[in-house]
Amino acid sequence: MSTENTTPNMQLNFTLNGQLLNMRVGPARRLLDILRLDQGLTGPKEGCSIGRCGACTIQLDGAAVPACLLLAYQVQGKEVITVEGLRSKPAFQRVADSLIEHGALQCGYCIPGIATSLTAALTQRPNASEGELEQAMHGNLCRCTGYSGLQQVIKDLATPAPNN
Amino acid sequence: MNNVPTAVPLDQKHFAERWNARPDSTEKAYGLQQYPTDELHWPGLLHGRILRSAWPHAHILHIDLSQARSLPGVRAVVCAEDIPGTNSYGIIFRDQPVFCTDRVRFLGDAIAAVAADSPEIAAHALTLIKVVYEPLPNIGDSQQALASAAPRLHPDGNLLDSSRLGHGDIDAGFAQCSYIVDRRYSTPRQMHVFMETEGGVAIPEQDGSLTFRVGCQSGHRDRDQLADILGLPQHKVRVIGLSTGGGFGGKDELTMQPAAGLLALKTGRPVRIHYDRQESTRAGIKRHPIQMFARTGCDAEGRLIAHQLHAVLDTGAYASLGPAVLTNFSDHAAAPLYRIPHVEVQGQLVYTNNSVAGAFRGFGGNQATFAVESQLDKLALAAGLSPAELRRRNLRTPDDDGVEGQSQQMPCHPNTLLNAAIASPLWQINPADAEHGRWLSGVGMALGAQGNGLGNGLPDSGGASLRLTKQGHIQLAFGFIEYGQGVVAAVQALACEALGCSAEDLDIRLGDSDGPDSGPTSASRSTVIATEALRRLRDDWQQQLIQLGKSLLGDHRALCTGAGGLWYDEPKGKRAISYQALASGVKDLSLPALKIHFDFPTGPDAQPKGRYLQLLIATVARVRVDRFTGSVKVSHLHHIAAGGKVIHPPSYRGQIEGAAVMGMGMALLEDVPMHNGEYQLDNLDAYLIPTLADAPAQQVDVIETIVAGDQYPVRGIGELGIEAISPALMAAIQDATGIRPCDLPARPAALLAAMTAAEENLP
Repeated sequence: MSTENTTPNMQLNFTLNGQLLNMRVGPARRLLDILRLDQGLTGPKEGCSIGRCGACTIQLDGAAVPACLLLAYQVQGKEVITVEGLRSKPAFQRVADSLIEHGALQCGYCIPGIATSLTAALTQRPNASEGELEQAMHGNLCRCTGYSGLQQVIKDLATPAPNN
Repeated sequence: MNNVPTAVPLDQKHFAERWNARPDSTEKAYGLQQYPTDELHWPGLLHGRILRSAWPHAHILHIDLSQARSLPGVRAVVCAEDIPGTNSYGIIFRDQPVFCTDRVRFLGDAIAAVAADSPEIAAHALTLIKVVYEPLPNIGDSQQALASAAPRLHPDGNLLDSSRLGHGDIDAGFAQCSYIVDRRYSTPRQMHVFMETEGGVAIPEQDGSLTFRVGCQSGHRDRDQLADILGLPQHKVRVIGLSTGGGFGGKDELTMQPAAGLLALKTGRPVRIHYDRQESTRAGIKRHPIQMFARTGCDAEGRLIAHQLHAVLDTGAYASLGPAVLTNFSDHAAAPLYRIPHVEVQGQLVYTNNSVAGAFRGFGGNQATFAVESQLDKLALAAGLSPAELRRRNLRTPDDDGVEGQSQQMPCHPNTLLNAAIASPLWQINPADAEHGRWLSGVGMALGAQGNGLGNGLPDSGGASLRLTKQGHIQLAFGFIEYGQGVVAAVQALACEALGCSAEDLDIRLGDSDGPDSGPTSASRSTVIATEALRRLRDDWQQQLIQLGKSLLGDHRALCTGAGGLWYDEPKGKRAISYQALASGVKDLSLPALKIHFDFPTGPDAQPKGRYLQLLIATVARVRVDRFTGSVKVSHLHHIAAGGKVIHPPSYRGQIEGAAVMGMGMALLEDVPMHNGEYQLDNLDAYLIPTLADAPAQQVDVIETIVAGDQYPVRGIGELGIEAISPALMAAIQDATGIRPCDLPARPAALLAAMTAAEENLP
């Protein structure tokens, strides 16, 4: 990679975890590098760099997207939320607590991405069915668990909460 | 014995008392866990990258670093000349260069490394390093390696190691057989695909020492090798193996540590290296691809008489743990679960210009079990017996010695697992599903055995330390690495039970080479070491605390260790003194502190062979095969595992299920194809691993009871779940389609072609 397309010649404004950020970056700087290297947000993980593993999943205007595939110019004026910004939100906590309860994690490296994807799906469709939640997981790989815990989590989350 | 062990479902209902969340699960679920590759906060941090060979096999004529060195933002470029110590590493033989000087042997070979202000500058600098090569002929596969005209990849030739084991007279054995089956089998170059690729940071300290915070599997062994490479005394190198994003054997060897260490020494600044997935594919360890030929025979009653298995393992360009994999492979290839009077196993481990193969969960055993169990099914068909009945007539018992006459400790009679497998509900296929339009359903099973420990008399020891801190915490340290398997959960549960304390009293420290050496985090050995260490420390610890408590209290009533502190024996339920009060009552130097180091249990034999502590598993699989595409959907897996006492139920279950799906990947999906030493893929777009959509419904049943007299009620189960999955899946495919795939992965195209050919050949 040449250093030219990362020359910081673009004014980037976007919302990160509720805060408006203004920075000069190269238009082709990857969002994942902006988050991890520039902002020190290590919640999104790098696993494949080509959008296949889902470990770097963030929310872009509410949709779950791999941050390794987003370039700086593509987030101009948008809202980005990482796992760091989701932690305090009840929808995320419901997902995280279910992952804990069902022992759905081992090394945990995939979990920020998985929890972010599930939270996005549940935020977009609070009454999402099991099938819809399974579909939301299509971009997230886990190598440790064999997904049995995650199957339980999805059953758990797809059941509408009693007060809904 | 009227006490027949039974298999109990490993679920929350049956294990309610022991079922609790892993201690690290909140941090992980909330994305707070810091991994080795998250170490980005170090002041002055530099980003390192490693230049890999452009050729699978070549002479290096010239290396020119000058242009790279003069690129603004580059802080150091290092090559072999910059290594103060020895330019080689490897767990068994140090035959792999840190940086190549005159010759490269595979595309993952390292030539130089760069540290720069940013990853982009480091990557750009690599393109400015000029290397002049003279390409050499490649050895692209293991058969080529053994040809007499093949170029020699190492001074002693291309045959790195060979194995030969068995007993009886194989020719005489086959002469007595009524039925003989033979078949060629092959298994793929599977990739570990830990979600966190190899990485970490090397940090120079004020006193000239170096601290590594990395993903690894043994801080101590890494330290020993790094000290030699860096030309530093061992006490000036500290390796902290942080909780890492998966290992599975793939982080057993050194990875980025030598390059990061050299760059940190040269620049005096912290240097971080994180392989991208392409580099991980190119340079990382793989599972050995194995070509096998097996011949197995029985008499008219289905009693096994003779079994022969010849194999060639492609170990790639360097030895790594290849010789140990060959040994474990050979132990399993001898069909250790069955009594067979005439057995012959021959294995060859060969160097090629392919990816280096080494440690990977199962460690050669699961590949051998695939061939052995497949042979038994084939033989059962020939002899007119059910696969279960053929096995029942030949199973070894816990009273039997191992294949080579060695002592071994089976947890229970394998018949118990066989019976549970036969009784599995998975065999009851709804008739409507059995042949449903495009879809054919089938069920199959297989048995497997797996040992704990390094085995075969290799030096294998473990240690631990235990002390009361000034703050009143019980600090328990092991050298193990937490890489997802849940050793932190097992240690916590074992410590609470042995020391009588609560989880809140404990301060568990893992993976620091400045702490106790527990041996490598491999070979399913950690839980056994932790159990043994606590058993040996327990009495001394309790005595010291109680004595201290009595002297502080000036009270002679009987005490015992408990949650939060010491408690009175009488009256019950009254705490005498807290651990905090105990700790603050004495001078620092008098605080109880114990250390222990001991050998891994290898049984009574003077010359141990194989692995003494054995575990058993039966796996039943149900599949649906698409007659239109040849694709296989694994709908259900049912495991019956005999691995001793369940210490932490969710981790035990997770290990069995996770290993099974990893094995399912090897059986159906995964391979890194290479052509003349060139990788045919480099990332997860072409290397597919199972997704949630591929995941079967799984049930795990456990047999906790062990045979009377077995001194080791707790075993390590990290590899057990991968042992029998491949042959169970192939048996299920055969049940559904009549076709028995013998080349893994069993991909749709090959299965479809075989199904079509079989249909066309029907009369």
